Amino acid sequence: MKFFIALLVMGILTQNFTLAKFLGICPFLGVSKKLNTAVGMSAAVIFVMLIATAVTYPLNILLENNGLAYLQTIVFILVIAALVQMVEIVLKKYVKSLYKALGIYLPLITTNCAVLGVVILNIDYIGDYAAFGFGFGHAMMNAFAAGAGFMLAMVLFAGVRSRLEGADVPKFLEGLPITLIAAAIVSMSFLGFSGLVEGLGLLG
Amino acid sequence: MSEKKKYNLKNELTKGFLRENPVLRLVLGTCPTLATSTSVVNGVGMGIAATIVLICSNIAISALRKVIPSKARIPAYIVVIASFVTMVQMLVKAFVPALDESLGVFLPLIVVNCIILGRAEAFAGKSPVLVSAVDGLGMGIGFTAALFCMGTVREILGAGTFLSGIDAMIGCSFKGFDFTGGLAKIGLAPMTLFILPAGGFFVFGLLMAAANRLAEGKGLKKAGLSPCAGCPRADACANKLCGEEKDV
Amino acid sequence: MKKKDVREIITTAVSLFLICAVAAGLLAVVNHVTAPVTAQNRQASENAARAEVLPAAQTFTETTLSDGSTGYVGTDETGAVCGYVFTTSASSYGGKLELMTGFDKNGVVTGIKILSIEDTPGLGMNAKKEDFLRQYIGSDGVLSVIKNAAADKNEIAAITSATITSKAVTSAVNTARGFYDELTGEAA
Repeated sequence: MKFFIALLVMGILTQNFTLAKFLGICPFLGVSKKLNTAVGMSAAVIFVMLIATAVTYPLNILLENNGLAYLQTIVFILVIAALVQMVEIVLKKYVKSLYKALGIYLPLITTNCAVLGVVILNIDYIGDYAAFGFGFGHAMMNAFAAGAGFMLAMVLFAGVRSRLEGADVPKFLEGLPITLIAAAIVSMSFLGFSGLVEGLGLLG
Repeated sequence: MSEKKKYNLKNELTKGFLRENPVLRLVLGTCPTLATSTSVVNGVGMGIAATIVLICSNIAISALRKVIPSKARIPAYIVVIASFVTMVQMLVKAFVPALDESLGVFLPLIVVNCIILGRAEAFAGKSPVLVSAVDGLGMGIGFTAALFCMGTVREILGAGTFLSGIDAMIGCSFKGFDFTGGLAKIGLAPMTLFILPAGGFFVFGLLMAAANRLAEGKGLKKAGLSPCAGCPRADACANKLCGEEKDV
Repeated sequence: MKKKDVREIITTAVSLFLICAVAAGLLAVVNHVTAPVTAQNRQASENAARAEVLPAAQTFTETTLSDGSTGYVGTDETGAVCGYVFTTSASSYGGKLELMTGFDKNGVVTGIKILSIEDTPGLGMNAKKEDFLRQYIGSDGVLSVIKNAAADKNEIAAITSATITSKAVTSAVNTARGFYDELTGEAA
């Protein structure tokens, strides 16, 4: 249980996927201008991360048992691409309301490194956290935490950017440069969480 | 005719350096740029690995462009790119283990580096082999150059070293420069913030401002570039999501 | 479904399948070539690391430890046991930290080498620096981390702003000491 909480705190705060691990920067910069698109995009990312983990985790065991571990990258990215496409089709046909909310973000997620990143990290964690018995449940938790961390970063940053809109910015920094400098300050604020997991004794 | 071609090739090669620099102008491949530019050696290692993948995938995709069915082109591109990435990963593991260790998860993540899929979709999928290879080389050089600049600023300011770790990477006896001793004598320490994630965003922002300035100074107005130029999924979002936002 | 559609689906599927098959085949070939080199590299760097942390030893023999991992007994040119090398790990700030510790036959640390570490560059990564690791050499008991300058040889001064990493390195060395006690306890 403690380890589950540790994974959650790490993914969201101390090792935030976007602000500390630099995964998913493109959508972080691209679609964080409005709060509702930021929330929509992150919800779609959490959704895809969870299904992708649920599928790739057992698939990896299959690959490793057959000595095909070197096919990991290619299999994972194909699975993600296929899953995204399938989810899009299923939602479009059966869950119209969800499709309306998440649909436009789905095609962009195939090339979102955060999704492939969390899937690969989950496989790495099996060895890294062997002492805690890292298993399927932990992988799902980690995927959720990573997605939630992405969402937190997106939502916070959408707030920052709406303030930036009205700011009087030096001309040479207008546009993306000032956005990146704002991201630096948000990222710096997350440094304040360092040591939280260890301080709470979650990794016993 | 041949002269015109030569001119084109040169143009395809150099456009990636500054005017259409994938990182600083098209804002592609930002994740590896921020994550691996903590030192020059790391950043350039990442740049070279991605350039190799980019040239190979551009050649393969361009050669197969008439065979790949247009409806399934994105998955087909992904398979081609992923196999080159895995090959590079295996070769790096075997011959430059130090690089594999320092790049970590970002080596397999070259697969989703949008520069590569972006070039496949925007260029290699509809251009002849030679031109695509040159385009890949130019874009790769632009990517590596941006990483070199970021790495230089971050390493010197953040760690007080330059080219550290080069000995393990290329097996030479030169260990890079270390200014920390000299700095300590005058009572200074490196500004660690610059190699932390926050410093990455900061340096990236300033470099991008500099690149915009330089590119416009040459009279190449940004108007020539659509904000979604080079984005692999521009067709899917039809400039709806980030188009207006990226317009700098 | 029209005939034309069916044909299109089939050609798409077949060409995708062919691309995948060729890709997988190429990868298998590259893997076949590089896998032995990678394994050899790993072996060579492990041997080099062992020689570095226990320089007195000429040969190393494997021994199985209580937790199932492998330790190494080092013997000098006369064949006498001159020390032990253990690979241990601990959870650090950025994930798993793995290191190798060498002990002489009296239980004094002769060398320590970090094998893998994922940490913040500039902070936790300073654990790889000579200045920090030197503190461990010569210690002969269970180590503790303090934030000031170390007074005792079994005290380790933490790296500035990287206490967690310092503690992780120390705990991995202490685990190795546990293995040392286990092996020498059996021998006695």
